[in-house]
This record gives sequence, structure tokens and C-alpha cells, in this order.
Amino acid sequence: MSMYGGVLKELLGMFLGDARLTGAVLCLVAAVGILSWSAGPFVPGAILLIGCLAILVEAAFREARKGAAND
Amino acid sequence: MGPVAWGVAAPAVGSAFIASIVEVVEAFTVVLAVGTLRGWRPAAFGTMAGLGVLGTLIALLGPLLSHVPLRFLQLIIGVLLLVVGLGWLRKAILRSARVIPLHDEEAIFTREKSHLTDVINHRQTSLDWIAGLTAFNAVVLEGFEVVFIVIAVGAGAGDLWPAAIGALAACLAVLAVGSVIRKPLAKIPENKLKFGVGVMLSAFGVLWTGEGLGIHWPAEDVVLPVFAVVFLLVGTATAALIRKPSAEAFR
Repeated sequence: MSMYGGVLKELLGMFLGDARLTGAVLCLVAAVGILSWSAGPFVPGAILLIGCLAILVEAAFREARKGAAND
Repeated sequence: MGPVAWGVAAPAVGSAFIASIVEVVEAFTVVLAVGTLRGWRPAAFGTMAGLGVLGTLIALLGPLLSHVPLRFLQLIIGVLLLVVGLGWLRKAILRSARVIPLHDEEAIFTREKSHLTDVINHRQTSLDWIAGLTAFNAVVLEGFEVVFIVIAVGAGAGDLWPAAIGALAACLAVLAVGSVIRKPLAKIPENKLKFGVGVMLSAFGVLWTGEGLGIHWPAEDVVLPVFAVVFLLVGTATAALIRKPSAEAFR
């Protein structure tokens, strides 16, 4: 179990280390995908970049608040 | 697969090199603990076996990827890069802001040595085999992330070679420095490197995901560094905003 378990844990940790961040990225990409059919090239691209930055900042602040609450 | 534009190949080589340094240093710490405790034969055997598994994985996956349509590949790899890149960047921001502790190679080296000593004291048979397996585990587990990054930044650009060369150069550099000093490579500014890799993987993720969704970025060769600078600025600003005051500041 330890070898396969370790590999599985490493892979899951890579992609699901922060499940909320992963979910938010998937939702953002789906929304941009839908938008890219109807809007021009600039708007979906800008939303993708700004959305990723927003997800990153939210995840860092959320973890920092959690850390402060545990102190 | 066709030739890659220099504007994408250079960041791919750089990202694979830096990401590989971070992971290889972690694997090297465990291999060093094994080598110091049980001798270099099982350490070298475990390392070579681990590298063989990773090499086989790349040799099998590399040619398969050339059969997948590039746009579909860019979308899948772009999303995976966003998840991994933003995850690395989030962790690097939290370490930089002192919310979570920095990675300590000296502590990992001591822990691995004591763990291996415990195992040896409890099981008096096949000690070299256990030591070799420990080194093999470390190389395979840390190497998985290197393989993913090489495949992700390379395949998205349509060519694995630049990223693979970056990763190989990192392995050789760590091995060369490690074999000379024979101590855990604790002085490497690991969090700064992870910050840089997180920035590059996130930038690649936005680029490939956008291209996979049919977005045509303006000035394609320039847009990747622009994304990287934006992620770097936002990441640095976030770390500064949530930074905890150090204990020394109160003394």
C-alpha cells in the first residue's frame, strides 16, 4: 500500500491540495469557455486572467484568516 | 511536433529548471540520509531505479501526446497548470508571509535518518533493500511533479525537448553540488524558487487555457512575460498584506 498510496497521495496533493481553489478554477474556465463563444477575444481573456488573480488572492487571505483563528 | 517560438521555449526551459531544482533538492535530502546511514550502494541503486521509472513514464507519455490535437491538449494542460501553479503560488505567498513555516531541509534530513534508524532497529533483515526502497520512493514521488511540469510546459508549446533539457540540467546541477558538499542543500532559497515557479506555471496556465478555449492573445510572444509580471506583482502584494510580524520584531 505504501508505495502506491504515496504516489496517489502525491498526485492528489498536487491537484486537490486546496479543493476550493481547484473548484473555483474549474468554474472560471467553464464560464470563460461559454463566454468565448459569444463575446470577442479580449473580454474572455481578461476575465480568465483577472479571475485567476482573484482566486489566488482569496485562497491566500482565507488561509491567513484560518491561521490567525488557530493562533 | 514543430519547432517552438523562443518567447515560449525560454520560459519553458527556465520553469522546468527551477521547478526541478526545488523537487530534486527534496529528493536529494532523502537520498543523502540513506547514503549516510547505509552506504552509497543502496542509495545509488534506489535513485537509478526511480529515475528509470520516471524516464519510462516520459518515454511512454511523450509520443502519445503527439496524437492529441494541440488545442485540446492546451486546454487540459492549461487547466492542470492553473490548478498546480496557483496552488504553488498560494503556498509560497503563505510561507513568505510567515503564515506557514518554511521548508527545512536540515530537519527533513534528521527526520529521515531517524525514521530509517527506527526501521533498521525493528527489522534486522534486508536493510540495504529497505534503504534502497526509501531512496527509490523519494526520487519517484518528487520526480512525479518534475515529470508533470516538463510534460505540461513542453507539450503545451508543442515540443517536450526544451523543458526536458531544463529539468535534466537541474538534476545534474543538484547532483554536482550535492556530491561536493555532501550535506543537505539548506541554503537554497527554496521559497523564492517556488514563488517563481508558481508565477511561471500560472502564467503558462492562463496562456494555454486561453488558447485551448480559442482566445487569440495579442502579441503572443510578449503576453507570457506580461502575465508572469502581473502574477508576481499580485503575489508579492498579497504576501505583504497578510504578512505576520516576526517574533524578533517584538523583542
